[in-house]
Amino acid sequence: MITQKVVRLAVWYVLLAVVIIFALAPIVWMLSTSFKPESQITTLNIEWIPRTFTMENYDAVFERFAILRWTLNSVIVSVAATLLVLLLDSLAGYALARMEFAGRNLLFSIILSMLFVPLQITVVPLFLMFSKVNLTDTYLALILPVGANVTGVFLMRQFFLNIPYELEDAARVDGASDLRIWWSVVMPLARPALTAVAIITFLSTWNSFFWPLIATRTDAARTLPVGIAQFMSLRPGQSQSAQAYGRSMAGAVLAALPPILFFFALQRYFIQGISMSGLKG
Amino acid sequence: MRILPRPRTAAAEASRLRFRRQLIPYLFLLPYLTFFVLFRLGPALAGMGISFTKWSIVGAPEWVGLSNYEAMTRDPRLSAAVTNTLFFTGLTVPLLVVLGLALAMLMNQPHRGRALGRVAVFTPYVLMSTVVGVIWTWLLEKDFGLINVYLSQLGFEKVPWLVDQSTAMYGIVLTTVWWTVGYNMVLFLAGLQDIPTELYEAARIDGANAWQLFRRITLPLLAPTTFLVLMLTIINSFQVFDQVYVMTSGGPGTATLTLVQYIYTTAFQFRKMGYGAAIACLLFAILIIFALVQTRAYRRGVRGVAA
Repeated sequence: MITQKVVRLAVWYVLLAVVIIFALAPIVWMLSTSFKPESQITTLNIEWIPRTFTMENYDAVFERFAILRWTLNSVIVSVAATLLVLLLDSLAGYALARMEFAGRNLLFSIILSMLFVPLQITVVPLFLMFSKVNLTDTYLALILPVGANVTGVFLMRQFFLNIPYELEDAARVDGASDLRIWWSVVMPLARPALTAVAIITFLSTWNSFFWPLIATRTDAARTLPVGIAQFMSLRPGQSQSAQAYGRSMAGAVLAALPPILFFFALQRYFIQGISMSGLKG
Repeated sequence: MRILPRPRTAAAEASRLRFRRQLIPYLFLLPYLTFFVLFRLGPALAGMGISFTKWSIVGAPEWVGLSNYEAMTRDPRLSAAVTNTLFFTGLTVPLLVVLGLALAMLMNQPHRGRALGRVAVFTPYVLMSTVVGVIWTWLLEKDFGLINVYLSQLGFEKVPWLVDQSTAMYGIVLTTVWWTVGYNMVLFLAGLQDIPTELYEAARIDGANAWQLFRRITLPLLAPTTFLVLMLTIINSFQVFDQVYVMTSGGPGTATLTLVQYIYTTAFQFRKMGYGAAIACLLFAILIIFALVQTRAYRRGVRGVAA
């Protein structure tokens, strides 16, 4: 009985270790490569801890690429898009959940149906539209389309369906307007849903690649994912110089660090948000 | 909306109020709907419309009827893109679903260190796609990449990975599995935690072994989660682009050219907007067909269990 328990635990720890190593080794290798001098990168000796630490790769990244600008752009776009989505979706979700009006169910079905339409279909018209009004390569081109997201409306509506009517009724007897009720009675209750929608929106915007790749041309509006892609897409599919790999790993570390820290700090909300939606963006 | 009785001074006042009441929901919806129509519904419909035109951004679109769709049947690059996308999906989906479930069951064990394991498996998913692409391009490098160096140290032959037509797609698959399996694990974990433990205890008392517990309790009760995971994974796999763009740009040759990569090059590099939109419509059609088939299969499955 005891030996069986020991064996079980041993198997558990071995499996756990294998899984953790496979999950984290690529990230550790990225970190390690980013601090190596050129001569120690393309070598057959695997050194997980660099023999000599150097910052030259990081210096090269800052010198040759506008990585700080990309990060700033990403922060601005993601924050603005998240605030926009919170406002639009909580208003719309509230109406769809708590008000009765002609065409409500039809409207909700139309909105939901867009979940099944791949974004790629909208990208050509969106590009043509933004070109027409000369807004490509601006923050607006990256922020505004996020406002049309479907997941957030769906989540807000689901949440609002489940709050008790008594609170609204009481406020209404006191003569509060609908907007007032939404803002000071319902919204404070919606903290968990708003947090989930905020995290999902922020992340999907932060990671968004296809549309920003198409909509931006210069560093003025280029976001971090699009910028990072430049490290490799110079000569895709081919081997590059040791220098290029050192640089790209340094760039990757700089881009990976904020989200990883963000994730560890907000881990609980993060996983909640994902399990709640089951959807990416 | 509930209308509570209010003191009314006159009939006119009441009707004015009623009108306002009817208007209010639309006012709440107006901001979102404006965005929805302008940036989602409108473009989706326009995209379908544009697929019947020839349009190179400059100048006006020219109506060409079904000729874009006819051209598709004769386009070898498109058939490569379809084949590659199906191959990629056929390989990643089973891997991601089975591994996701296996990891969730492992990390659901009541042992020490499982919280750490969960975080570790989920961490790659936090990285942005292009960072993942950059990391794995280096890991899969043919001479000095970590994977090949280890392979040759273990006595295996080096794999050319991204630079060879026959292996490039496997490199993309490997990258994708590493990156996204944690997401499926989290969804499966949530599903597993919803299964009442009493069921397992009762079955164990009845003498069920581990396989029977899995087969008779876990799998059937997890069916809704599995369906969700399967749907999401398939949809995402069909739309694979970011990793491909960074790691191979569809090459070598057309070895990793996927549908979305082809939409990108057609519409935004060769400026063939009409043809690009038509390929996007094809992707849409494929996704709809898969969703319908799957939903039907799922319904039948549920009925089968219930019967």
